[in-house]
Amino acid sequence: MAPALSTTHVHAEEWSGEDVGVGDVVTELCRLRDESAHETEGPDLRTSVMTHLAWVPPEWEDAALETLAGLEERHPSRGILLFPRPDAEDGMDAKISVLAFPLREQRRHIAAEVIELRLRGRSCQAPASIVNPLLVPALPVFLRWRGRPQFGERNVDQLVEVCDRLIVDSREWPDVPDAYGELPFESTACSDIAWRRTERWRRCLARMWPGIAELGTLRVEGPVAEASLLAGWLRSRLEREVELEHDDSEELVAVDVDGTACPVPRGHPTSSELLSAELDEFSRDRVYEAASRAAAR
Amino acid sequence: MTETQVAENPLLEGLGPRRTPEPCVLVIFGASGDLTRRKIFPALYALAYRRLLPERFAVVGAARSDLSDDEYRDRMEHAVREFGRDDFEQEVWDGLADATRYVSMDFANESREDKLSDLLTELDEGRGTRGNRVYYLAVPPQAMPTIVRELGERRKTEGWTRLIVEKPFGHDLASARELTGLIGGSFAEEEVFRIDHYLGKETVQNMLALRFANGIFEPIWSRQFIDHIQITVAETLGVEGRAAYYEQAGAIRDIFQNHMLQLVALTAMEPPIDFTADSVRNEKVKVLKAMRTPGPKNVVRGQYGPGFVEGTEAPGYRDEDDVDPQSMIETYVAAKLFVDNWRWADTPIYVRTGKSLARRETTIAIQFQRAPHPPFEDSATEELQPNLLLVHVQPDEGVSLAIGAKVPGQGMRIRTVHMDFMYGGAFRVELPDAYERLILDAMLGDQTLFTRSDEVEEQWSIVDAIVAGWARDRPAFPNYAAGTWGPAAADELIQRDGREWLRH
Repeated sequence: MAPALSTTHVHAEEWSGEDVGVGDVVTELCRLRDESAHETEGPDLRTSVMTHLAWVPPEWEDAALETLAGLEERHPSRGILLFPRPDAEDGMDAKISVLAFPLREQRRHIAAEVIELRLRGRSCQAPASIVNPLLVPALPVFLRWRGRPQFGERNVDQLVEVCDRLIVDSREWPDVPDAYGELPFESTACSDIAWRRTERWRRCLARMWPGIAELGTLRVEGPVAEASLLAGWLRSRLEREVELEHDDSEELVAVDVDGTACPVPRGHPTSSELLSAELDEFSRDRVYEAASRAAAR
Repeated sequence: MTETQVAENPLLEGLGPRRTPEPCVLVIFGASGDLTRRKIFPALYALAYRRLLPERFAVVGAARSDLSDDEYRDRMEHAVREFGRDDFEQEVWDGLADATRYVSMDFANESREDKLSDLLTELDEGRGTRGNRVYYLAVPPQAMPTIVRELGERRKTEGWTRLIVEKPFGHDLASARELTGLIGGSFAEEEVFRIDHYLGKETVQNMLALRFANGIFEPIWSRQFIDHIQITVAETLGVEGRAAYYEQAGAIRDIFQNHMLQLVALTAMEPPIDFTADSVRNEKVKVLKAMRTPGPKNVVRGQYGPGFVEGTEAPGYRDEDDVDPQSMIETYVAAKLFVDNWRWADTPIYVRTGKSLARRETTIAIQFQRAPHPPFEDSATEELQPNLLLVHVQPDEGVSLAIGAKVPGQGMRIRTVHMDFMYGGAFRVELPDAYERLILDAMLGDQTLFTRSDEVEEQWSIVDAIVAGWARDRPAFPNYAAGTWGPAAADELIQRDGREWLRH
């Protein structure tokens, strides 16, 4: 069995600074890595599969940190969390954590890096210039945008340009299904955690084939995002008009196909598992693109 | 999803294949044995924990012990708590326990077979398992013929049937063919899943990923760039209560015939055209067919005497319980093998396996040729070794590449450093146990990681030829001390070629 991580004796090297520049962050990151390697017994290994960027407005801070906590096991990465404060005085504050997780029964450690940047004032308008020097070279960049991105605005466009995949959760958006029409499919691959939540239900609905081929009315009890995406998916896949009857609910709990209940699927993935599944996807999801366009109609 | 499936049902597009098997009953023969307790049930729990078992599923334990369903569930719960790799979650266990039944049976007693048949029919009706069966033969070889015959005679036309067979697959080529014939009388080859649990290990599968998913390795994976290959399967344990079996098998049948030759085949095989079971297995069989039978000079056998293993005094093999004090069974085998084909001609593959050795490890080492003309002073490169690719199968699963690097400071001094990719370091999760993967694959009907009958027969052909050579001499056993790296003759085997065994 692979040596598992011990989370009880994590060695942490941390640094924080106010009103710092990106150069300071790079310098301190190198220094912390060096210190961590010297202060732990045996070498620290760094193995990354991506850079994980997150744009986290203040109201999403707690939720974002909670989700990220469950991710590193499956997706070793450099995490860069951007906390925008556009109304604050210009500048940037940074906190860097270099964590060394001891491998059980081994002298080696696994290093993880988390860079938290508080962007103040005008620095919120130039996030790409801050992020670019910090990306792990030659590895994909995943951008998780918490809340509703204002597509077309400078900060969004800049980070979309930097990333290989944009991950949103349209359940966090107040204006679905219309907002689906703004997703930048031509610029980058897009993932939607709300779409991922429907996956178990889509598998169940697929099992209703061929009876479902003549579907007229879909009734969904759940959040509007998931309801809209399921309706859009069926419209695009079946190439027919599907009327959506929607009862609002915090979770997706029931789906009816022309009055016939779809069997309730098993399991209930956590937010970390949902995001983790999106981080495993690299190519464009054409089925989602078609579903979201059809949902916005 | 296949294109055909999507064409038939447009809702399947983008959903991807889901590794959840069809409804079925898993019947474990030998259900009260050590393998079931240590490996099979913990693996079933791990699959249940990840929701990978079918929704409509049942497990039937079948063994001689007289137990009720509840007693059997209690035993298996203890086994899962002791040997499972996941946290014990009552809800997950309750689901698995609810699906678990037990039949006390003597395999030779027909009325008990009826009891099993009746139970399976009841489960089909009650749990919707549709007549689909996975029979797991976790029994000694002598119990196998009766069970196979009984199962064959009672086959139903409804549903599919799969038969998982644990090693040993025979004792020699003749007995392997006999077993194949016996199984073939009742089951098609597509229904037979011969387990070599090494193939279920992530790092063994990673050998295929390393070779065939990376453009940089395959062009240099040949006699032109590789000096030689070393494969080590070393154990620190002695026979540990398996003396009765080991006295019949020895290292050559216990490890060399199956695990070792699998590792050789995976290392030396040509790229398969795809990753289907037959494509992969065809290429492995070609390697075994191309393997030159090693002559007596190229094979070394050994048996451990008393010594110290990991600081603890350890008995010699002949002093172990239930071992003949004059036993001539080998606990160590080393060999120099050649695969006579275009890619590997004249490239030696040194293999060694043994018990009570200095360290527990399974490693494939690819030693590349030296750089032809390093333009440095001799003193600068005296510590520099040729490039080496190490595939660590266990215990530290991963890959290391040894490269020459400049020592920081004045002047040019170069030494060997290892770049490590360790699974525990990159994907920071515990690797699944081999049995989880293999049981799930058998339920799914995927034979890629199982051994085909012709593969088994090729393995036995090689082993039979080696064993025949041994009949002519009687080595002075014991010839290595427990806790060392084996007999001196094994060192001589490789030193004759101007090489050394690697100390990993």
